[in-house]
Amino acid sequence: MIVKDSKMKRKWGMAIDLDKCTGCGACSLACNQENNMPIFEDDSDVPKRVAFLELMKVTNDRDAKFPDVKTAYLPKMCQQCEGNDTHGHKADPPCVSVCPAVATDVGDDGVVSQIWSRCIGCRYCQTACPYEARVFNWWKPEYEGTFKEGLNPEVSVASRGTIVKCTFCSHIWKRERDKAVAKGILDINAVTYTPACAAACPTGAIVFGDLNDPNSEISKLAKSDRAVRLVNAIDDQPEDKKKALMEKKQYPNPKVYYLTSQKWLRDMMRFKKNS
Amino acid sequence: MKKIDRKDFLKIGAGAVVGGVAGYTFSGAPFLGFQWLVEWSQDQYVPAGGVEKYVQAISESCVNGCKVSVRKIGERAVKIESKEGVCPSCLNALQLLYHPERVATPLKRSGEKGSGKFKAVSWDEALKDISAQINKAISEGKANSIAAVNKNESINGLLMEKFVRAVGSNNVYYEPTWKSLTSQALGGYIKYDFAATDYVLSFGAKLIEGWGNPVEMQKVFVDWKKKGVKLVQVDSVCTRTASVANEFVGIKPGSEAALAFGIANYLITEKRMTSTGADFAKWSQIIINKFPLSKVAALTGIAEDKIKKIANDFAQSKNPVAVAGKGAYGMSGSSAEIIAVYCLNTLVKSRAASLVKDSEISYVAEFSGIDKFAKEGNFSILILNNSNPVHNSVYGEELKKKMGKALVVAITPLINDSAAYADYILPTLSFLEVETPQNKAAVIKQNEAKDAKEIIISLASMVEKAKAAMPKQVSDVYNISNKEVAAGSFSFNVDKIKNDIDLYEKKLTDKEYPVTLVPMEVPLVCNGEGLAFPYVLKSIDPTILKLGKFYVQMNKDTAKKYGFSEGSSIKITSARGKIKAYVHLTDTVAPETVAIPLGFGHESYTKYGNDKGVNPKKIMTADIDPLTGIADWWSTRVKIS
Repeated sequence: MIVKDSKMKRKWGMAIDLDKCTGCGACSLACNQENNMPIFEDDSDVPKRVAFLELMKVTNDRDAKFPDVKTAYLPKMCQQCEGNDTHGHKADPPCVSVCPAVATDVGDDGVVSQIWSRCIGCRYCQTACPYEARVFNWWKPEYEGTFKEGLNPEVSVASRGTIVKCTFCSHIWKRERDKAVAKGILDINAVTYTPACAAACPTGAIVFGDLNDPNSEISKLAKSDRAVRLVNAIDDQPEDKKKALMEKKQYPNPKVYYLTSQKWLRDMMRFKKNS
Repeated sequence: MKKIDRKDFLKIGAGAVVGGVAGYTFSGAPFLGFQWLVEWSQDQYVPAGGVEKYVQAISESCVNGCKVSVRKIGERAVKIESKEGVCPSCLNALQLLYHPERVATPLKRSGEKGSGKFKAVSWDEALKDISAQINKAISEGKANSIAAVNKNESINGLLMEKFVRAVGSNNVYYEPTWKSLTSQALGGYIKYDFAATDYVLSFGAKLIEGWGNPVEMQKVFVDWKKKGVKLVQVDSVCTRTASVANEFVGIKPGSEAALAFGIANYLITEKRMTSTGADFAKWSQIIINKFPLSKVAALTGIAEDKIKKIANDFAQSKNPVAVAGKGAYGMSGSSAEIIAVYCLNTLVKSRAASLVKDSEISYVAEFSGIDKFAKEGNFSILILNNSNPVHNSVYGEELKKKMGKALVVAITPLINDSAAYADYILPTLSFLEVETPQNKAAVIKQNEAKDAKEIIISLASMVEKAKAAMPKQVSDVYNISNKEVAAGSFSFNVDKIKNDIDLYEKKLTDKEYPVTLVPMEVPLVCNGEGLAFPYVLKSIDPTILKLGKFYVQMNKDTAKKYGFSEGSSIKITSARGKIKAYVHLTDTVAPETVAIPLGFGHESYTKYGNDKGVNPKKIMTADIDPLTGIADWWSTRVKIS
């Protein structure tokens, strides 16, 4: 079979419905297992904790008093920024443009890659990331004894002194593509996949899919009134002003959408003071 | 043809070398070389590859009977997936399966009790000695001094219940589950039909966090959202359930029962609603006399009008249901509260709550519940079936002392706080290593451990008295059918709880201990079971455990009043003792309340679970409920300094 047009048509994105999230932690467990997270006896040093997905507990207790308070859980991973095109340059996420080692880049599918073994550990990208989604291996990732047996061979174990992060489980996509090829399907656009966190979510709060496909669930969710992107201030601006601003300034322009009808949560995600 | 002279020869040679180096450089191979260098110099671990395969497994150690799909690479299991929903411990099964501290062979105590010194013995030796001691106790006529504590009502629990009863003892206890907690109070446990209800009034039950059955509750939550079921959450801590509820009613900690009395009072006196039974008539008289709305408002901190509104909304819904039971994993509640909340259901004739019983589990034992047994019971042989009462019971310390004088057998995959005091540890398999009627074992056995069912059956086969009544082989276990049967009409012993209701008001207004300590549950940690697993430790929020420091949560105004600020250390003292922690300020907690994370402070639970936080059960109220035999520990009056 000859594939005439194998150009990538997909742009992977994620929508997380915070109103549906119960905070059960299944996404976090599934991510840790899938991506071979290093094991520590005491993992309570949170800024140095190596995990791709952080289950953040958030509340509006700064602006509200008991019992008018609310709590929510916010699963936060790499937001897979797209950046935006200013002055005719290539659009780059904040982390990609600062990497001196080409260890991180944006694929044609929109996923921001990270190649552990190429990373020289300068941590520029970690500083540049607006979401603290990148973590640094301060220690050598170790797996005590038999814990090694549970490691996934598709995700390489990182070495000490490198940055790691969520890659939308792109190894699962590769797995699915390989399976498709084995079946004789050579069209890359015929294959879809689900990252570990989305597959593990028991209430269907995490939806993953193709943002370029206008009929996909994710495209519809991304356009809904409930959608909000983390600290991407430009989303509030009217369309024409947005265009003008985008030509002048860089925005992270993430591909992870959070859905909520809770005003306090929407405001908090944009660093706005609760009214 | 031109002759190649020496100069040309050298040129060609040099060209070939330059070309080779350039080709090598641009091929990217040196980068690969660097990668090898990095891997080699850092001794980087490379997981072994193999053929990918998916196999199915069903858990028999949890009550949900979780069905999972296991991704395997060669013989290694690398991922647990599930389409039908799965409870936290089953989702985390790989961390147990490959836990480096899993008990690999039967162990016999070799040092002092509790010293944690064990030596490996053979299965034969262990079972022979244990069965000999059981046989001896039976022949001496002390069969009733043989006791067992089950973790839950799974197949393994059922089998243990059968064994102990066959031996001639009625000392079978369960760690507080919704069933074991309510069965003694109501004569059956309440079966909720959450799919049929349109209005849920929850008295602090952490429904969304997975109350009773996480797999079912997650489905119920999605269903409620779709159908627009109204959820009213009454609680003193703003949990996730409180936040997704249509209405969150903040209440003074520990006064949930008072609110139930108040609503019942209003429905009976103002709305002329009634329920059946002599006990109900007696009970309603007590409630009407002792808990007028004005007093309930003062005790709960909820205005009278608000109570009336909740009562009206509740009564006017098509199929309302009221739920008690507090924690998602740490079930708690006094029988006075459980009965009051169930009375609300009978008053509005809820079709979403009915009393049922398990045909094979009676919950009738020498003592009414596990805490009473730990406090007052005497035993010469104690079998712990995957349970950890030393950590989970407020009478853990007392139980430890008694365990020092008895033969203790722990059937468990990891050495937990209770197993550390055992004479014998019989290691069990993870459910992934167990064959079920539906599936073959998902992975091959990792060590010499055995399936809990097999252990109980082989032990029973060596006990003369139990032999006949017990299944002969593991496959026979599946013939025991535990059916749900109707529990008959609703009745309760009002005289037994009368005293509790009388003292209730006094408890809530203790001047010596002005603050109330309530527990809060942490995702994945459950009731402490999760702490042995590194991937659970990774998910713990920094407001609970940060840089090894353990935090309790306190309202900002309350902190100001008592002179605490963010991160300051705190000493919490109850009538039973004191604990130390650090303070995190948050208004998600009611005033005059300290919320303490549950499940921390293990004495012995692998190196991952040890030395993390404190166990609040040590200082929590230990008043044993007259009906359930379980301490009503959820809210404890304390002073802080």
